Amino acid sequence: MTNRLFASAGLAALLTAGAAMAQERPDLSGTWDNGGGIGFLNPQNLEGQSICVTGCPQPAAAASGGGGARPAPSLPVYKAEYQERVADLTERQVDEDPVLRCLPPGLPRLGPPDKIVQAEDEFVFLYEDVSGPFFRMVPLNAEHREDIDPSYHGDSIGWWEGDTLMVETVSMTDDTWLTDNGAFHTENLRVVEELSLTDDGALQWVATAYDPEVLEQPWRLNPRVSPHADWEIVESPPCIDRSLDHMVDDSYHANPR
Amino acid sequence: MILRTFIAAAAALTSALAAAGPVLAHHSVAGVFDTSETRTWKGTITKIDWINPHTYIHLAVENDDGTVTEWEMESIPPAMMRKAGITRKMIQGEEGEVIEIEGLRARDGTENLAYILTITYADGHFYQLSTN
Repeated sequence: MTNRLFASAGLAALLTAGAAMAQERPDLSGTWDNGGGIGFLNPQNLEGQSICVTGCPQPAAAASGGGGARPAPSLPVYKAEYQERVADLTERQVDEDPVLRCLPPGLPRLGPPDKIVQAEDEFVFLYEDVSGPFFRMVPLNAEHREDIDPSYHGDSIGWWEGDTLMVETVSMTDDTWLTDNGAFHTENLRVVEELSLTDDGALQWVATAYDPEVLEQPWRLNPRVSPHADWEIVESPPCIDRSLDHMVDDSYHANPR
Repeated sequence: MILRTFIAAAAALTSALAAAGPVLAHHSVAGVFDTSETRTWKGTITKIDWINPHTYIHLAVENDDGTVTEWEMESIPPAMMRKAGITRKMIQGEEGEVIEIEGLRARDGTENLAYILTITYADGHFYQLSTN
């Protein structure tokens, strides 16, 4: 009888410990400085309340970049039969790039979340983007929904692999690009994102795009590391382009990531 | 000289935006505005369009003959302003304040359309929003 009680108590302790361990996941919640697409900016406060935003003389330390600093660019590799189409879209990207017309960027072009709300059974990703304020719901250990139509940022589900949050997204329209330079995709695009914390508490985001119909191989983006931000995100003002009608040529600049 | 200025400006704009993320449009500013010549306007702000992907300031400029022309002046996105600590209210300045804008005219011949490089306020403080 004593032994049975002891074993029962031991089992309960083990179960409790197991449950506790199962819940000890990294806390990814918070606002993250992914540069918001402007990580290269090192604005300077000058004398007399003046402010320099671009073209400012930069101290060496500032020039190295903060949140959103990127390694060498990575671009998807297309199958031979699609490379001409990509080259054509690249050449005409001022006319063709959906983001220039204020459409949602899609994945993985949207990049890492600007804010993460973490619950036991789901995540909410929030974005303050030039194209608009976006949100993504990421239920954990769920099945993909079959009752919704394809959308710009698709249907996401998540699960933990160790200390890494994995997020798989499908059901995306083919109206978006993977990145700049004519990187089109099909409706069969599948994107897997990996989110984890670095040793110093920053958010690391890596995405891989799978579209075997057109890509020679899955495209794994360079990891992006975003430190905790000390500000709150705000609603993006509406995106209303007025420039494109005034373009006199199709010049564009590189925008690698 | 003009060509060299143009190339330098294009290079500056390119390098400034090269590290930008997915949220930034990536057409060239030099594809819309004439980077070969910098102009200056003085006037009062009548309206601000705080929109993406570019903000716009409407500037009422008094002509030599006393008539007033409203210029639409394009600038950087709201998020860039915010990252630099510049709010819409700061851009607005004091009511009726005469400000000076240094900028670039549209290349396509559109009248009264320009791109802002620097805004200078009556007390001398300024915001350098872009460079040429």
